[in-house]
Amino acid sequence: MTPGELLRRPLPAQTAKLTLGCPILDRLLRGGIPCESITEIVAESGTGKTQLALQLLLAAQLPVSDGGLAAASLYLHSEFPFPFRRIHQLLFHRPRFPHNPLDRIFIEPLHSIDHLFDVLPRLDDIIPKSNIKLIVIDSIAALFRGEFDNNAPELKRRSGLFFKISSKLKFYARKFGLAVVLTNQVTDVMESSDNLRIGNPVSLFTSGRKVCAALGLSWANCVNTRLFMWREEDRVGDENVQTRRFLRVVFAPHLPDSSCEFVIRREGLFGV
Amino acid sequence: MDVSSLPISASQRGKLISAGYASLSSISSLSPSRLALDLKISENEAVEILKVASGRSGGQDKIESGSCAIVNGAQTAWDMLHEEEYSKCITTSCSNLDEILGGGIHCKEVTEIGGVPGIGKTQLGIQLAVNVQIPADYGGLGGKAVYIDTEGSFMVERVLQIAEACAQDMLEYNALLQRDSQACLVDTQPKSFLDNIFYFRVCTYTEQIAVINYLEKFLSEHTDVKVVIVDSITFHFRQDFEDMALRTRLLSGMALKLMKLAKKFNLAVVLLNQVTTKFKEGSFQLTLALGDSWAHAATNRIILYWNGNERHAFIDKSPSLPSASSPYTVTGRGIRNSTSNCKRVKLM
Repeated sequence: MTPGELLRRPLPAQTAKLTLGCPILDRLLRGGIPCESITEIVAESGTGKTQLALQLLLAAQLPVSDGGLAAASLYLHSEFPFPFRRIHQLLFHRPRFPHNPLDRIFIEPLHSIDHLFDVLPRLDDIIPKSNIKLIVIDSIAALFRGEFDNNAPELKRRSGLFFKISSKLKFYARKFGLAVVLTNQVTDVMESSDNLRIGNPVSLFTSGRKVCAALGLSWANCVNTRLFMWREEDRVGDENVQTRRFLRVVFAPHLPDSSCEFVIRREGLFGV
Repeated sequence: MDVSSLPISASQRGKLISAGYASLSSISSLSPSRLALDLKISENEAVEILKVASGRSGGQDKIESGSCAIVNGAQTAWDMLHEEEYSKCITTSCSNLDEILGGGIHCKEVTEIGGVPGIGKTQLGIQLAVNVQIPADYGGLGGKAVYIDTEGSFMVERVLQIAEACAQDMLEYNALLQRDSQACLVDTQPKSFLDNIFYFRVCTYTEQIAVINYLEKFLSEHTDVKVVIVDSITFHFRQDFEDMALRTRLLSGMALKLMKLAKKFNLAVVLLNQVTTKFKEGSFQLTLALGDSWAHAATNRIILYWNGNERHAFIDKSPSLPSASSPYTVTGRGIRNSTSNCKRVKLM
């Protein structure tokens, strides 16, 4: 390989995208999750990260004409257990695929960071063999939270690992035209601490708490697109509490700051 | 040296150039009568011109014989000043930002731009890759761009969007000057903007070094390239480098090479950098990544940061510009002036 071969010419007029399975959400993301880069979904637990991730596993199998990638997907999960019940439920409401969709979802549990580094090099063979076009890691934060002490050398080692993981994932994304989706948790922001502003200046709120994405500044450098999901509790009448959910673009190379409300139904996740 | 720098009247200069005497050396050996004949001027006038010219070139001879013998291709500061006056800048499409940058991003210089994720580094990179193509008729460079993408954030959709806005602006400019827009329409298709960007996607630091080494050959084959953008210089160098001394060596080697390319091919080099926190004076502060020795690599350093709800650019280091900051925004059409009506440019 020569450096001259790294030149891409002519450039394609459009980046391939993976549909989210809902036209309203697709419009927010101008077509869906972009291939060849890393998209991160940040949300507190119970907002719908995993729901969206599961939906993407099925959407990836749709033919290209329907916004899918006509390919299988790989789901690496560090949050247990894998929600089989839910994916069965989603399948029930989806248009029938000519094949069994579950055959095209590869699942691998991740127990530690070392485990992830064990899996990553193997992907070079697995991805082309199984025609994988989507990798989901749910969640990246669960792997890192707890394994590191809060002191300078540990944090330095941690951020080195961030870049290593991100670089490897981007390498595969480029090489095989993959869409890569990672989920991340949130951390509360203390009012007193001078907070670092990443992405949109308006601070992120979920359930009335001020939060920011977990894993800090150096991780933020590792993703191309960051999406934030949050929920608001609306009191309806005296007793009923209604939960409203929203999806927002925090930063992305091709998207403006914008947001939209969504609901989670039995059939999946939809924009309203 | 050029005859245009001689302190003679404009008509004399015009006659000299139209008669084919462009450089001082071409007239230095002429006799006054020959020059008078060629330029159709009186012999007295020709003597005056030659006197001025020999005074000028004589002075230069002295300097050149002093330096040229030792360093081949050395330039005098006077020549460099002249060149700089004629060299053009790449506009950022944000006039406030251009103002503090002294007209835009300068050719022959390495400019480093850093900021937090989402501040608009890649947006600025794409904007420059488009703006470098603005034809000379519109005050641009009419050049091409090399874009080295290490992060995968380069989106063709966004390039087309910014290019479309740029083409529209040029048409508007045409209408303002009541020029024939048909003549210039040909090169303002958004798609052709995309064709004039040489896009390299690098996935490892070895690839990054290889591409930068290869650039010299590439640029000598594509001399119309006027800007090289690296987005970002940092990414592959933040993975766990065991040997920090090696990292420093690799980075400074790369910086030297880029500096050399900027000079040799008269182009602008723009390096995008990430920020990191640094423990200083008892608290964590934001600083550009890659450490202190890297801080010497670029000619200019610009830091992008949030000020309230507004994006700002701050000149952190520059040999010729005062340190200043200015607001800017990222719009659907690209980088533009901030709309808030507070004081625009703040000199410090």
